[in-house]
Amino acid sequence: MLADWEGTTKGSVMSTTVNVAPAISISGLVKTFGSTRALDGLDLEVAVGEVHGFLGPNGAGKTVTIRVLLGLLRTDGGTARLLGGDPWVDAVELHRRIAYVPGDVNLWPNLSGGETIDLLARLRGGVDQRKRDDLVERLALDPRKKCRAYSKGNRQKVALIAGLASDAELLLLDEPTSGLDPLMESVFQDCILEATREGRTVLLSSHILAEVEKLCDRVTIIRQGRAVQSGTLDDLRSLTRTNITAATDRPIVGLDGLDGVHNVRFDEGHVHFDVDGAALDGAIRHLSSFGIHSLVSQPPTLEELFLRHYGDELAAMNGAERGVT
Amino acid sequence: MTTLATDVARMAEPDAGVSDDRPELRKSVAGTGLLVRFVLRRDRIRLLLWFAGIVGLVVVTAASIAGLYKTPEQLASYARTVRGNSALIVQAGPGYGLDNPTTGAVMMNELSVWTILAISLLSVFMMIRHTRAQEESEQAELIRAAPVGRHAPLAAALVATAIADLVVAAGCAATLIFYGLSATGSIAFGSSVFGAGLVFAGVAAVAAQAASGSRAALGLGSAVIGAAYVVRAIGDVGNGVLSWFSPIGWAQSIRAFADERWWVLVLPLFATATLVSIAVALQGRRDFGAGLTAQRPGAAAAGPRLSSPLGLAIRLQRASVVGWTVGLGLIAFFYGIVADQAESILEDNPEMKDFFAQLGQGSITDAFLSMSVLVMALMATGFTISSVLRLRAEEMAGRTDALLATPVERRRLGLSHLAVAIGGTVAIMTICGLLLGAGFALVSADAGQVVRMAVAAVVMVPAMLVFAGLAFALYGFSPRWSPIVWAAFVWALVAGMLASVLNLPDRVLDLSPFQHVPALPADSMAWPPVVALLAVAAALMALGLWALDRRDMS
Ligand SMILES: Nc1ncnc2c1ncn2[C@@H]1O[C@H](COP(=O)(O)OP(=O)(O)O)[C@@H](O)[C@H]1O
Ligand SMILES: [Mg+2]
Repeated sequence: MLADWEGTTKGSVMSTTVNVAPAISISGLVKTFGSTRALDGLDLEVAVGEVHGFLGPNGAGKTVTIRVLLGLLRTDGGTARLLGGDPWVDAVELHRRIAYVPGDVNLWPNLSGGETIDLLARLRGGVDQRKRDDLVERLALDPRKKCRAYSKGNRQKVALIAGLASDAELLLLDEPTSGLDPLMESVFQDCILEATREGRTVLLSSHILAEVEKLCDRVTIIRQGRAVQSGTLDDLRSLTRTNITAATDRPIVGLDGLDGVHNVRFDEGHVHFDVDGAALDGAIRHLSSFGIHSLVSQPPTLEELFLRHYGDELAAMNGAERGVT
Repeated sequence: MTTLATDVARMAEPDAGVSDDRPELRKSVAGTGLLVRFVLRRDRIRLLLWFAGIVGLVVVTAASIAGLYKTPEQLASYARTVRGNSALIVQAGPGYGLDNPTTGAVMMNELSVWTILAISLLSVFMMIRHTRAQEESEQAELIRAAPVGRHAPLAAALVATAIADLVVAAGCAATLIFYGLSATGSIAFGSSVFGAGLVFAGVAAVAAQAASGSRAALGLGSAVIGAAYVVRAIGDVGNGVLSWFSPIGWAQSIRAFADERWWVLVLPLFATATLVSIAVALQGRRDFGAGLTAQRPGAAAAGPRLSSPLGLAIRLQRASVVGWTVGLGLIAFFYGIVADQAESILEDNPEMKDFFAQLGQGSITDAFLSMSVLVMALMATGFTISSVLRLRAEEMAGRTDALLATPVERRRLGLSHLAVAIGGTVAIMTICGLLLGAGFALVSADAGQVVRMAVAAVVMVPAMLVFAGLAFALYGFSPRWSPIVWAAFVWALVAGMLASVLNLPDRVLDLSPFQHVPALPADSMAWPPVVALLAVAAALMALGLWALDRRDMS
């Protein structure tokens, strides 16, 4: 189920793209493998020009979604539109406009990295030689090595270069950095930012939250084949509790009674509490009536966001509810 | 994966490891026992097929020889034609015991070299698969992370391969005993087969350390088998000294059924021990996943031909096309050279003569040539099928998605490998036909044979394409189940080679496409069956395309 605040997420991204059909529009998508429901009524909307984070734990259905968008899998229900076309029927025409970087990169063992990049680029319609060579250098790939001899990270670089060197409008990236070292990851992030500056759209499936926080305009969190939340990072944060530590001139009373305020604790003249995004304004007004002289607020990290949605799974795994909120 | 995970978990248990007070060597092979069980379990189907293939070869040969050579006269006539025939000695070995021929000696001359080659291949494939190829897989990390000793994977591969060799060799010996041959000779044969298996397991162990990658290791191991075959061939036609430098020569020098020389068994055992120590020493000196020789670097950019699915399919399959062409071409040339002896071999053997006479109205020589063309076509069908199933291998290895994510239609991808399979099949058969003709032209001094045999070989292609079509149709519906086509292939082999022995009804035999192609040069050309086979092949391919466009890619 999508959270009910979805209607309020028309942020700056949406206002600039009125009248433009979304790059990806999926609703009620179902995909089953035998008795497994890999996708179970998935909704996903990616606007043109945005970097959209696609988050979910292993087995949530991220890869299956992307393979449906590539026309590799048939669907069992719902609709999926990609750049205004049908991903299954119009696969070939659509593929001229997209680039795909798989998470599990499997390459031909006796082709070199350079040959693989060129092959994939040519199949898409041609190589942008300058861009290709630039990426090879920035990602520090030895293009002469046979793919058999590459580590996972290097295989991933080959796929990334082949995808990023294209002039595709839409990049479908399925956990593209899971084998890269931190240095290469930052190069990757630069490349994605450049791509957005060129006006490209990116769907970035990931479970590296820091990366998503840095790159993405909006995110969709999926779990067991269903979108559980979708919106801008700010929207998502407003749904989560902010942690506040404050000190006031006069002793605070009545804070506990406010809606949306939790875990109120006092120590050494400070008050600590968590407050729901929607109740933040009221809580701060209430505090200021006691004369605030110091205030520290910590926004929720994506980790906390994520944990909120998978917290019950974690709890079930640990066999006991943990003492958080 | 589940079973691997369980095994790794079990290795992590304290009692599976090795305590610190054991000596260094013991520690370096810790976990071997579990790995052996894992290797054998992982290969159980594969090994079953190897066993069925090799022991089946012995069964079939034993059955047919027992039927064809019953009287001392028949045995003597066999020996007369074979002894001193250099072409046959090169192919099969010196023919120990043929001066006073027994069924056992004839059997060894017909059988031993093929059995030895087969078990050598089994050893090399199995060893490389569980050493070097294993290192290149993702699972290797899992195994390395578990408390297994540095040499444990190598030790486990050796032990498992030795067990497989032993079981196959015992099966071969038991078969001969079952067909009433002497137990001593049968056990000597089994021992020689086992010994050869061990030596080539040792060879593969060294190759796995030395080569730059698993494919190179496989090539190196196979090349040593080839060299061993050639060295003993030269030795056998010469004064015999060179044969002592070949493990295949040793295996035959045990002289099963011809006054056995048991002491020769020391040679393979000693060689295996030496090779294994070399492998262990080399393993201590190289990095995990790397060879002693560096990997040759590839091109930094793709050549002009690597720009379409067809270009990729050609690149991926060209080594295999060349390998099959060279291998089958040599065999074909060989058949051509011995073709004119067919008449004399069969002279004193009315049953064999009848068998060949059934094949057509032509001369016995033509019947032999037709038979040769059929044998080559059956073997080359192995290429045809595996070439089409390369599509399956590519898809299963996860390499298809990246291609289909570009503007390449599925049918174009499918047709690319199908085109290579068809082109490769035509090329292999044409060259085999030309070489068969060239060999026969040499001995018959009739240059016209070259084209005649090439035509005969090419006429087989439509039947082979039916298999390409069947493989492609199955792949179109389900890559997982597409290997079923091999069952049809085995059926065609049985129908083609053993029809007269098995006495099967025509209706059953007619299921094999090869029953319908005109057997040139013994028969005359007939177009209707050829056209019909082509139509069936085309229909199957169209069906495959239709299905491929409609299914999930896995
Ligand atoms: N080809 C397939 N056959 C059967 N089950 C599949 C197949 N592909 C994916 N699944 C299942 O669908 C679910 C979603 O998988 P996936 O999309 O790969 O997850 P992730 O979010 O980690 O990418 C998993 O439970 C997986 O086992
Ligand atoms: Mg995935």
